[in-house]
Amino acid sequence: MQSLTNRVKPVDRKPMTFLEKIYLWEIAKGMMITIKHFFKRKPTIKYPEQKREFSSVFRGLHILNRDEQGRERCTACGLCAVACPAEAITMEAAERKTGEEHLYREEKYAARYEINMLRCIFCGLCEEACPKDAIYLSQTFTPSNLTRAQFIYKKDDLLIPDPNKDPEQYAKALGDRKRPQ
Amino acid sequence: MFIHIDNKTYTVKAGKNLLEACLTLDLDLPYFCWHPAMGSVGACRQCAVKVYKDENDMKGRLVMSCMETVTEGLRLSIEDKTAKAFREQVIEWLMTNHPHDCPVCDEGGACHLQDMTVMTGHDYRRYNYKKRTYTNQYLGPLINHEMNRCIQCYRCVRYYRDYAGGDDLNVFAAHNHVYFGREKDGVLQSPFSGNLSEVCPTGVFTDKTLKEHYTRKWDLTMAPSVCNHCSVGCNTIAAERYGQLRCMLNRYNGDVNGYFLCDRGRFGYEFVNSENRIKQALIRSRTNEAATESEIMEHVQSLISMSKVVGIGSPRASLESNFALMQLVGKENFYQGISEDEAHLNRLVVEMLRSGCVHSVSLKEIEQADAVLIIGEDIWNTAPMMALAVRQAVVKTAASQASQEIKIPVWLDSAIKELAQEEKGFLATLTIATSPIDDIATHSWHAAPDDLARLGFAIASYLQPGKIVNTDFSEALLDKAKKIGDALKKAKNPVVITGTSCYNDNVIKAAFDVAVALNTGERKTSFSCVMTECNSMGLAMMGSPSFSVANENIKTNGHATAVILENDVYKHIPSANADEFFNSCDHVIVLDALHNATTEKAQVLLPAATFADGDGTLVNNEGRAQRFFQVIPNTTSQVQESWRWLKKLQTLKLHTLNGHALHPDDLLREMETALPQFEGITNVSPKHDFTIHGEKIPREPHRYSGRTAILANKNVSEPKPFNDGDSPLSFTMEGYKGTPPSGVVPFFWSPGWNSVQSVNKYQEETNGALRGGNPGLQLFKNKSDARDLFFNDVPESFVVAKDRWLLLPKYDALGSGELSSYTAALKTLSPQPFASMSTGSLQALNAKDGDMLQIVDAGIMYGSLPVKADENVCDGVVLVTAGLRESMGMSWGTRVQIKK
Ligand code: SF4
Ligand code: SF4
Ligand code: SF4
Ligand code: SF4
Ligand code: FES
Repeated sequence: MQSLTNRVKPVDRKPMTFLEKIYLWEIAKGMMITIKHFFKRKPTIKYPEQKREFSSVFRGLHILNRDEQGRERCTACGLCAVACPAEAITMEAAERKTGEEHLYREEKYAARYEINMLRCIFCGLCEEACPKDAIYLSQTFTPSNLTRAQFIYKKDDLLIPDPNKDPEQYAKALGDRKRPQ
Repeated sequence: MFIHIDNKTYTVKAGKNLLEACLTLDLDLPYFCWHPAMGSVGACRQCAVKVYKDENDMKGRLVMSCMETVTEGLRLSIEDKTAKAFREQVIEWLMTNHPHDCPVCDEGGACHLQDMTVMTGHDYRRYNYKKRTYTNQYLGPLINHEMNRCIQCYRCVRYYRDYAGGDDLNVFAAHNHVYFGREKDGVLQSPFSGNLSEVCPTGVFTDKTLKEHYTRKWDLTMAPSVCNHCSVGCNTIAAERYGQLRCMLNRYNGDVNGYFLCDRGRFGYEFVNSENRIKQALIRSRTNEAATESEIMEHVQSLISMSKVVGIGSPRASLESNFALMQLVGKENFYQGISEDEAHLNRLVVEMLRSGCVHSVSLKEIEQADAVLIIGEDIWNTAPMMALAVRQAVVKTAASQASQEIKIPVWLDSAIKELAQEEKGFLATLTIATSPIDDIATHSWHAAPDDLARLGFAIASYLQPGKIVNTDFSEALLDKAKKIGDALKKAKNPVVITGTSCYNDNVIKAAFDVAVALNTGERKTSFSCVMTECNSMGLAMMGSPSFSVANENIKTNGHATAVILENDVYKHIPSANADEFFNSCDHVIVLDALHNATTEKAQVLLPAATFADGDGTLVNNEGRAQRFFQVIPNTTSQVQESWRWLKKLQTLKLHTLNGHALHPDDLLREMETALPQFEGITNVSPKHDFTIHGEKIPREPHRYSGRTAILANKNVSEPKPFNDGDSPLSFTMEGYKGTPPSGVVPFFWSPGWNSVQSVNKYQEETNGALRGGNPGLQLFKNKSDARDLFFNDVPESFVVAKDRWLLLPKYDALGSGELSSYTAALKTLSPQPFASMSTGSLQALNAKDGDMLQIVDAGIMYGSLPVKADENVCDGVVLVTAGLRESMGMSWGTRVQIKK
């Protein structure tokens, strides 16, 4: 039969030699490989004392962003939800009332905003879809949890700290992302 | 007729314009100012195409496709480079001042401007300067205004002023800052203002009630529905998200409502979400009132097997529910839940339409009528969309006659208007009091019902002398009759409209006589009678006795259990009579969706579904049976369709539980056998097991978002989609993606067409019937061999009595409607209850405007009402607001006493 690729390796069915038959030599060869690894660089790290360097485009847990004045940027337009291939986002819009201008940047805001982290595949399409720079994927990952229900992240879990009240935490959550205009 | 588009040959219909022709051929061509119901004005320059003289013409010329008629052999190009560049530039100009706020805009995702921008390929902004901004106006609780988004297509004013006859919306200023709005902030006055949200191709006018619980169109679960708020039966789309009804949209039906709805129909949906809903079955005799389904079934079962049972049907419950009740209690124990007076009128109307001697007219046909006579019904307030249709008939008749004379195509809006000027088609309104529709009437006359009837009979006798025997008409009356009769004689398609709200059978008989007298060989006459509720006709066709008969029977025989189906008896019957009925009942079992005076009387209360959480069939005043479909999935509450409750009780009673699921189709099949007058009703919509290529029709658009997250707060794993199995529709986004049969179109969408404008893709031709025929099943057939039904009951003229006044109802276009009045927005626009009388009557009473009056009928006292003096009410008549949330049943059409 003609092979389809050039990567075919014919099976060697020669009878074993004496050295191969006594096994010891083969075992020694194996041990050599093992011992060689003692002197190589360790691929594992001592998490959590030590943390791995993430790529600058790592996509982790979502953050709902605020603007410089601490107002929520999300306007509940639904574009992230419709872009999400895992159907993991759901929200309910509400109208901003007079007197709430300091809370919400746009006339509409998300009264309820939820991401089902068990469904999310951290593709980042929501971030890409967002016209308001309101959602982005941060450089931390979703912590483990005891119940499934706690993987439903509500608005409170997602919102970034207020830059005016808690600038430190805000900066931390923002990471090395450039400040939104 | 053949035309060539981009070197391909197509067959098109003569008389259309190029834009219509292209859209009918399923070709995508952008447009803004053209609207299928309003024609072309060539204002937006968006629909440019290239037209060539002949096949050798290489240059061609740019024309606006909406302004050019198709001609034999015409060559045009949509794809031509210059034409494409032109269209792209037009959009770019429009966009210079359009804010880029799609994420905030309510229209986003269902926006014609978005679609057209994408279609033309304008995708990059070059304009970096300041945009023009406006101050927005407060336009009332129904419509939101955001002027910055305007692209000056003029559709709003053309619709509001020319089509719907409103005068408080206009265009102001000039150049680059034209403004569409009111002179100053204020509530839009037209009861058809809601259509602005669909007519405006951008987000300037949007549905304000939707803002309360905003959802993008792609996130809505939608189902075809039928308006519940008057007897016209307009087709709607009910839209749900998170278990709440979010909005109502227009569902095009070329025979009924076309592209529009009235505000009562569009905004009157909030009762479904209202606090007042009954969600829990109750047994009031127990300390723990709330009951489980099996408990309540058992309890009801024991009650109805103990004593005689009477069933009280309802004109607002579906055919299925009424029939299921009839089956449960037996035909002889089933009664219509309305007064004898109303039932009598309804029976009369059924008899007239069933005779088949005049055509029962659809709204579309009213629009095309060339003369309209209205006797005794204030259709503006009782059947708003019918009034809009009459307006089109009146405004367009003169125009279409003019256009025939000098060969202008009918769609050329401004030319036609120029030609027709102020000329109007013939409309005579003979009613009790003035109505906004009088403004376009050739004749209007306001008198007491008996006098209206006399004029009607006089017209009939003028049209066919000798047919009416008793003719002692006065000179003045004969003169009026002659004028109207002459105008009607000239018409080819006259329509006679009447209604039951005069509570006077002679009025209906007179109107019918006019129709019959007109219906001679040379013209086709049609007839329509407005009724009170969405299924008044269906209930009347079942032919059962009225509530009053039930009351009499119970009084004489005593001891009975009453099962009351979705009926607030106190809204139909004077409270004293209703009390009497409830007092003589042993037990009262009520099925309803909202708490009301009748549910107060119930010992057992069953939560019934509304149009949004159930399926059913309604028959409108034309005799058109139409199916509505459930849109709110019901997984937890006990709410279910009344017919399901009743049918379950029946199986329990007869021990016929056969394990089969029950669907509306099955009920209709049984109904067809039991009541032959409903023959063919099973064809009202595709059966519940109907599929296309094995697939159901999805209620959700394919972009529906958040499916695995929506119910995550209840259950992290995605539950199985709800399935009621009652219809060919599924509660998911999966299923057949093509055009479904016209009766089960859950929403309008087509690739590249996300807004309502996509309805073009569902029609056989623009502004024509939906593909596969308009939905609905006409139950009354015209009979060519019908014996003319003719009535000869000319009443005596109305005589003003000294101390008795004729009590008649006065409806309100927005405020009336038992269910719609639970929409907060409509409630704020609804008048407070009042009575109105002529100054003469007030003088006789020694009362003045604003006094509180008490109406007394045969010893029954109704609550006191403020009185308004109204010059247009004739002496001896008192009009009382009806159908409002506060309104109660009164003895309409009788003479009552009035006390100060
Ligand atoms: S990251 Fe991807 S999967 Fe996760 S919520 Fe965003 S769009 Fe959905
Ligand atoms: S996060 Fe962004 S895309 Fe999602 S709803 Fe809010 S504004 Fe829209
Ligand atoms: S408000 Fe809407 S309908 Fe009116 S001109 Fe502007 S875009 Fe057109
Ligand atoms: S209330 Fe009547 S006229 Fe208005 S939309 Fe409903 S059915 Fe049509
Ligand atoms: S649609 Fe033809 S010019 Fe506007």
